[in-house]
Amino acid sequence: MSVRNFGSLAMVATCAGAALGCYLVSLRVASERAQLEDVETRIVLAQRDLRVVQTEIGTRARLSQLERWNAKVLALSAPAADQFLTGSFELARLAQPQHKVEFNAPVVLASAPAPEAKKPPIGEPEADDASAPAPVDLLRQASLKTGTREVPSEPVATSPHMATGSKSTLSPATAAKPAQKKAVDKPGLAAAHPGKTVDKPALASPKPVTNAIRLAKVDPLAPLPDKHSPKSVSKPSKDLHPGR
Amino acid sequence: MNAPSPALVAPRPERLRLVGQRRQILALMHQRLMFGMLVYAGVIAIVALRILYLAAFGDHAGRKEGLTQLIPDRGDIVDRDGEPLARTIDAWTIAIHPTKVIGDKLALARSLARLMPEHSEAEYFGMLRSGKPFFYLRRRASPALVEAVNALGEPGLAIEREPDRLYPQTSLAAHVLGFTDIDGHGAAGVERAFDKYLSDPATRGQPLQLSISSKIQQALEHELGDAMAQFSAIGAAGVVMDVHTGEVLAMTSMPTINPNAPGQGTPEAHFNRATLGVFELGSTFKPFTVAMAMDAGVIKSVGQVYNCPNALPVYGHIIHDTHPFGRACTVSEIMMESSNIGTAQIADQVGKQRQQAFLKKMGFLDKVEIELKERGRALNPGSRWGPFETMTIGFGQGIAVAPLQLAMGYATLFDNGVYHAPTILKRGPNNPLPRGRRVFSEDTSYKMRSLLRLVVMKGTGKKADAPGYRIGGKTGTAQKLINGHYSQTINITSFAGVFPMDDPRYVIVVMLDEPHATKDTYGFTTAGWNVAPVVSRTVSRIAPMLGVAPDMNREPNMGEVLPFVHETKE
Repeated sequence: MSVRNFGSLAMVATCAGAALGCYLVSLRVASERAQLEDVETRIVLAQRDLRVVQTEIGTRARLSQLERWNAKVLALSAPAADQFLTGSFELARLAQPQHKVEFNAPVVLASAPAPEAKKPPIGEPEADDASAPAPVDLLRQASLKTGTREVPSEPVATSPHMATGSKSTLSPATAAKPAQKKAVDKPGLAAAHPGKTVDKPALASPKPVTNAIRLAKVDPLAPLPDKHSPKSVSKPSKDLHPGR
Repeated sequence: MNAPSPALVAPRPERLRLVGQRRQILALMHQRLMFGMLVYAGVIAIVALRILYLAAFGDHAGRKEGLTQLIPDRGDIVDRDGEPLARTIDAWTIAIHPTKVIGDKLALARSLARLMPEHSEAEYFGMLRSGKPFFYLRRRASPALVEAVNALGEPGLAIEREPDRLYPQTSLAAHVLGFTDIDGHGAAGVERAFDKYLSDPATRGQPLQLSISSKIQQALEHELGDAMAQFSAIGAAGVVMDVHTGEVLAMTSMPTINPNAPGQGTPEAHFNRATLGVFELGSTFKPFTVAMAMDAGVIKSVGQVYNCPNALPVYGHIIHDTHPFGRACTVSEIMMESSNIGTAQIADQVGKQRQQAFLKKMGFLDKVEIELKERGRALNPGSRWGPFETMTIGFGQGIAVAPLQLAMGYATLFDNGVYHAPTILKRGPNNPLPRGRRVFSEDTSYKMRSLLRLVVMKGTGKKADAPGYRIGGKTGTAQKLINGHYSQTINITSFAGVFPMDDPRYVIVVMLDEPHATKDTYGFTTAGWNVAPVVSRTVSRIAPMLGVAPDMNREPNMGEVLPFVHETKE
């Protein structure tokens, strides 16, 4: 009797327990699902916010606005046909002339000292000693300003070659400063012309200085003698590109 | 007294009957009770099952409907690169319920007039005292204004968010996009044509992708707008189209509207000149005449010679040229110098029947084929179509088409002679390229390349050239019909160009309505002076974007035409 009674009770208890278990599982599932939906909702809300921000940025940076800015400030224009490159070789060709410009430029600058250098050649034989005091005055002025860069290089390059020429090599270096000064004082063509006319006779003396520099820079780049000739030709063509 | 014992005395028959009845009633009662109990248990069981079902599969109480996917109230419109052109956003709306206002109405009216000066203080006060339940005060209000209105603290003021259509690029491609009315339904352009797609909940989640490219559209609009201002034209239109697919990459009509505030535009600005307007586009028609003649076998070589006197009297009229030859000239020269006299003779040889058949196949006698609802019907002489009309149509007078139709014609001519209807939607799985119909032969299409390139290299369209992009095309200067007479001074100028001419990929058509002469054009109002430079500037801007690389060493086969050009001048 008792076993039977307990049996039914146990059945009821088992059923109730199973039902409760099932219910708990489903409750757990439901709560998980609710959390998932919360996350999904948050994602959608974030997407909506993104959309709002994107729309605002897009509206503020609309093409007509960019065009207006371009017209007023940037002034960019469509690239011309010759600004397009078809391959790496063309790109390399564009890069090459820049080296040439670098070591051609010092030659122009070095020729600037000429105006003072022209005086000694006029009274060549005796004027050497006579002209000496005059550069000395100039030397004082010059040494006040710069000279740190040029003075050490000149003695090394020139003094072994010419013992008597030491004065003359000094004089262009010292004379360089007054010449530059003049150019600064009188900007424009008027200042430039006298310097140019005197260039050629003076070339003889500054050459050793520039040569020393040139050799050091050229060595890796100029193994072929052929390439030197087109340098001057390709230089203007290079100048055209940045202009556009 | 006579109390019989129940055991001894037989029950009376009535009594017996009573017992039987009671038993029956009892049984009935039991049945009824049982039935009631079953019903009750059933109801409880149903409730319990329902609860169990809900517990297992049902939604929980806090669930928010419809937020698992972002579906806008109206579908987005995007360009071919996915850049949004139209979107629906939640905008702030300020409204008022005058009956619910509890504060001082005069003070409220005063502060409303200060914040929103579009109505005066008296008008606001009138609204508040009108007794009507609801007024909109401002739609699409700025957040700053909403904050200020909210700070008034009046419960009668309703501040709500409601969906609103926004066009982030403002007036860009306004005539293509169209706009929506106050209820959010399309009223023009794509908004009207695809209203069902954009508002259907099943489809609006997916944006509508147009074939328009916003960058190209911007370039075209900018250059055309500049030209329109420079030459004080009353209107302008432009189309850029893909030759092979018929996709419209850019289409504009000027003056334009701002679809964010469509009410501000004039009726003139609402008019879509590119698809709805039809114009006699003049000499831009000549390539079609020459192509027809080539296809029909009338012209066997571009070196074929025609007599080109200074004036040609035909059928009781006299045809003139702007640059008369006064000698015999070849077909190449006729195209190069845009000779009406030469083209008229070619058209005459082609004849009315063949001309009509070709024009029909090219779609020039019907409405322009595009998804937009704003479509114009091409005009033609109809019953008056005689031999003289055949000649004038040959050089583009007497037939009026929309600029989009002209672009379509050029696309047909240079897509190996196969016609594809233009489309405003991007070609793809949803909008596949339909089978085209052949209008011209491939050979004709090929020969026309060098002929049109010649016009730009040496002829009337020199200013349309963009170095490296091999533009070919034809200028068109048509006299405008005013009160039934062709004006001698007022023109419609157009240019139809194709690039790159050695392998045609894109066609560009631009048109200016009533341009005026300026100092820079030396008093000319012809197409070569005002619209041709627009093409040059636009193409040099858009061609790199379209993947057309400039190449100074490529040209169509000019050897076919150059031998037939007589060069004595220059």
